[in-house]
Amino acid sequence: MPTKQSDNPIAPVGDSVVRLDARAKVTGSAIFADDFQFGPNLLHARVVRSPHPMALIKKVDTSEAESMPGVKGIVTGKDFDGMLGLYLTDRYILCRDRVRYVGDAVAVVAAETVEIAEEAVKKVKVEYEVLPPVLDPEEGIKPSATVVHPDLGNYAYPNFIFPEAGTNIANRFKVRKGDVDDGFKKCAAIVERKYRVPHIQHVPIEPHVSVAKWDEDGHITLWTSSQSPFAQRNLIAKALHVSQGSVEVIAPYVGGGFGAKAGVSMESLAVVVASKTKGRPVKLVLTREEEFHAAFCRQGLVAFYKMGCDKDGNLIAVDNQYYWDAGAYTEYGVNITRASGYSSTGPYRVPNVRVDSLCVYTNHPVGGPMRGFGMPEIHVGLEQCMDDLAHEIKMDPYEFRKKNCVKEGDIIVTGMKMHPTGLSKCIDEVAKAIDWGKKEPATAPNKRRGKGMAIMWKAPAMPPNAGSSAEVKFNEDGTVDVAIGGQELGQGTFTVMAQMVASALGIPYEWVRISTPIDTKFSPYEWQTVASRLTWSMGNAVRLAALDARKQIIDLVSKAWNEDPNNLDIRNGVVVSYKTEETLPLKDTVIYGIPKENYNGWMGGPVVGRGSFMPTYVTGLDKDTGQGERAVVHYTTGCQAVDLEVDIETGKLDIIKAVSAFDVGKAINPDMVRGQMEGGFVMGMSTGYFEAMRLKGGVMQNPSFVDYRIATSSDIPQKIESIIVEVAQDDGPWGARGIGEHSMVPTVPAIGNAIFDAIGIRVGDPPFSAEKVYLAMMDAGIVK
Amino acid sequence: MSYHRITLTVNGTKEQVDVPSNMTLLRMIREKLALTGTKNGCAAGECGACTVLMNGEPVNSCMVLAAECDGANIVTVEGLAKDHQLDPIQETMMSSGGVQCGFCTPGILVTARALLDRNPNPSENEIREALVGNLCRCTGYIRIIDAVKKASHAEAR
Amino acid sequence: MNNSHPALPEFEYMKPASLADASKFLAEHPTDARPFMGGTDTFVRMRDGLLPMHTMVDVKVLEGMNQIKFDSATGLTIGAAVCMNKVASHPDIRKYYPLLSQAAETVASYQLRSRATICGNICNASPAGDMIGACITMGGLLTVHGVNGFRKESLTTFFLGPGKTVLKPGDIVTSISFPLLPAKSAGKYRKLGRNTLSDLSIVGVTVFAYADAKAASGYKFKLALASVAPVTFVPVKAEEILSGKAINADSLEEAAQAAMDAVTPIDDVRGSARYRKYMVRNLVKETVTEVWKQLTK
Repeated sequence: MPTKQSDNPIAPVGDSVVRLDARAKVTGSAIFADDFQFGPNLLHARVVRSPHPMALIKKVDTSEAESMPGVKGIVTGKDFDGMLGLYLTDRYILCRDRVRYVGDAVAVVAAETVEIAEEAVKKVKVEYEVLPPVLDPEEGIKPSATVVHPDLGNYAYPNFIFPEAGTNIANRFKVRKGDVDDGFKKCAAIVERKYRVPHIQHVPIEPHVSVAKWDEDGHITLWTSSQSPFAQRNLIAKALHVSQGSVEVIAPYVGGGFGAKAGVSMESLAVVVASKTKGRPVKLVLTREEEFHAAFCRQGLVAFYKMGCDKDGNLIAVDNQYYWDAGAYTEYGVNITRASGYSSTGPYRVPNVRVDSLCVYTNHPVGGPMRGFGMPEIHVGLEQCMDDLAHEIKMDPYEFRKKNCVKEGDIIVTGMKMHPTGLSKCIDEVAKAIDWGKKEPATAPNKRRGKGMAIMWKAPAMPPNAGSSAEVKFNEDGTVDVAIGGQELGQGTFTVMAQMVASALGIPYEWVRISTPIDTKFSPYEWQTVASRLTWSMGNAVRLAALDARKQIIDLVSKAWNEDPNNLDIRNGVVVSYKTEETLPLKDTVIYGIPKENYNGWMGGPVVGRGSFMPTYVTGLDKDTGQGERAVVHYTTGCQAVDLEVDIETGKLDIIKAVSAFDVGKAINPDMVRGQMEGGFVMGMSTGYFEAMRLKGGVMQNPSFVDYRIATSSDIPQKIESIIVEVAQDDGPWGARGIGEHSMVPTVPAIGNAIFDAIGIRVGDPPFSAEKVYLAMMDAGIVK
Repeated sequence: MSYHRITLTVNGTKEQVDVPSNMTLLRMIREKLALTGTKNGCAAGECGACTVLMNGEPVNSCMVLAAECDGANIVTVEGLAKDHQLDPIQETMMSSGGVQCGFCTPGILVTARALLDRNPNPSENEIREALVGNLCRCTGYIRIIDAVKKASHAEAR
Repeated sequence: MNNSHPALPEFEYMKPASLADASKFLAEHPTDARPFMGGTDTFVRMRDGLLPMHTMVDVKVLEGMNQIKFDSATGLTIGAAVCMNKVASHPDIRKYYPLLSQAAETVASYQLRSRATICGNICNASPAGDMIGACITMGGLLTVHGVNGFRKESLTTFFLGPGKTVLKPGDIVTSISFPLLPAKSAGKYRKLGRNTLSDLSIVGVTVFAYADAKAASGYKFKLALASVAPVTFVPVKAEEILSGKAINADSLEEAAQAAMDAVTPIDDVRGSARYRKYMVRNLVKETVTEVWKQLTK
């Protein structure tokens, strides 16, 4: 009787197996989008971009550029009248009558070499009539502001987005719950703060790259570094007024996404210029400078917080306003407004809530999905305010959070009932690991030491009907190829899916391959690789596909052996009967079936398992109150704390220890879950220390690594600890839910709270640069 | 723009390539030799994704002209394994979880290999210092540093 | 709006056979040819469209460019093409000119230091140049080859402004030499960047000091400050205080304050003038104290 290889009955689910793409990546053989070989036919594209944040286009003259030898195609906005948009359709592929941010695409040139394309770009003459730009969301909502999208009233949008025609408000999410004014009267302490969170960028180490080919028969192929092959196919096909079936998106390994490569940002530019090159493929690679400001960035936020509690520390009322500096196009960003609205209180139980979350058009770079999708931005202020409120009533911030954090059964901000969650456990684990309450001595006379914590929650932000599907198909030797539409960005999707298939089917992990690159022609549909949804959503689909295959096999063998299928199992790639101890390896059977007795015919045939998952229970929310039965599928919650020192001579921060705990439901691969916690912490820390897109007059002043600094190996904490908490997700595969984004959500306020503990003051808005910390200390009289 | 005929050794193999004056070593490796393991991240010497060994020392290949490389000995990530046997640093990078998206990985491996060659038993600080020119956005560096430590222990045996 | 090229713009690469050939060519093409060594500054500026050049002249293998020579009678000579990693690790430099090695180690990353050179750092003449302070305080002297042959250039008169030096078309720096240092000397380069390592300096403080019986304090201090003025800045008053008075907590504070009062930094993307002035004060005090402790050990 074949025995299990480990003590883990659901192995390899729950095991920290080595990722299945590791070898390809360490040998340099893993293919990324810029690595595909296209031969001498390949053309190179460069983009004519607006130098103005807001201007009308009076004239575009491409004649001189077109006559250059080596130029094979130029397209402008007049060639394409279709619009793009994931949620709100507000964007032409190329600007037609106006430009709305510095970097907005006006024309694309394809040429034999990138140098010729660059020269041709310089020769495209564009006449602009400059208009006063909107550079701040508080200014943008005033009647005097330039209207960035005069046609807002004509754009298509889904029924959960509420654009206000004639204004710069692309979406508004309102929460009206209970009675905040009455609530504040009952408060013993009230905290009111304003926080400004700057724009930042994802900074994937791999810049955006797309290669497009437009065949004479109308078939369009797009090879691209992409989190969203199906969404890109859909949006581009719609914008070009063609069938989704005639656009094929091929997506290999992604060198970092973080949201930058979701939706459509630059991919459509390669596609449209390919329409002119008679079937020759065209490659567009963004320079690092373009990457910083011309694709997607994370929108800026101006946030007003007001919250109050009673003398015992019970949260009574929250009244927050979020003004999102959403940039020139909000087709994706409108949903950040919504998500930050329905999660606007943070992971707390509050009976009275008034929130307005506004998505404001500005002439800034395009705000798109970035890891956290509004959560890191709002938690900057939320979690520092919660600490301030706790201090007001002389309560330990840890106790304050334990008291008020959401627990199972609580009615949360949208009226939804909170599902089982390990948030309290996360808080306790973190407090224990950081030795909360113990004042540690500074390590040197010029240092001040402090501890800070912050908690978070986030739900996958997506349409209520975002779906996943999967196929499991066999090879003759019993190994399996799993077809999925979700992408490997580094977060470990492929490995985790392979573990799930191996476990559900009963085959070794080593027998499972994931079919890559994703190809929308062959791969089954997946909405997008965003929202930390794949482990849960695509995991469900993959598990169902594996179980479907398993059932086909068991049903076949039970027929062949004339046994009750309940006595049969598949273990380690072998079908076993618990009753008779008969065995049959999967090999050959899964393709060729089983011969009947004496070879009098055959049974079965090639086994293909399929699975599909789409949540069915998300309800709408009332437009005026934000209330509804089920706003989201679920929340992942968690806590982080840091023990850090401030150098009072320079203002520099040094984290001695960082601790994270997140409730992931079930860690399919614990080491990889910890890897997400570590990576997310460092990314959050990087944004807390260094990162801001410095925008002056709409122009980014620091579009390069020289002056947009990110964390290096020399900046990370001395010690980092990552704790997994598991309170099962009722409809997650083996109870799992996502973790990819959550680990960078509480980081900045945890650092802010630790700084406060160390030196007794708040230093202002992030990033908490050494200069900001030092000058804050100087102004407060802490140093002279 | 004129072309220069250069002869150089890449991963142990002698190559002769005609390169235009302005072609970087990175572009030559990727476009003329189809060795796409080495990556383009910034073209400005800041991210380290393009790191290769040039005469034994790590350089940002995006900042070296191919034309300067006549007679040079170049090692890329593809040259770390010998006869399909992975270098210890490749093994430990896999087993430590130091790989996520994999885009910074080739540059990191080359930098780490050079570190261990010149300093077989580096301290944690020395490892952090040596890797400071290789940006990673995914892992937070923790398991990368761990992998280098483990490789140095493995090689000490 | 940014004008960066995806890679490098078009230009010609030229490898001259001799210094004479190189200087002649460069003098004949004063606006569209340029010498380069490591290229780490040059290529970045070219890619950003700031240095349109037709010909790049590779001077790395010309005579004298690759030497490291220490002579216990005359001092140290480093060829202009010697990379910073070599300077950081060379046993004679580490032993006899440790400030030079230590300053080299703070520059950028190991990869860039495989290519970057001291003389390139000097010729780039950035106010943030990390090596310039060490070279000035230790009396570095440049050997320059031009159309009229070899000459020497002192660093005290070399810099005219940000990115501007006394070099003329045809000039190629071939080496830098340092006199023998006094027997009892110590130095430190303290660099404050945004990241812990690898950044350009927000403020850079070089301190080099040695025992000097003629000085009232018994010691001569040489200071140089990066990123706080159009060129590397020597705070003379601070130096005088440290040479003229007994070194103690008060004179250290006074010197640090004098340095702070003397500098005229600007607000830029890396830091504000206000912060820079305080950092000059704090880091001069910290670094002088550290060097002082080393000297009096």
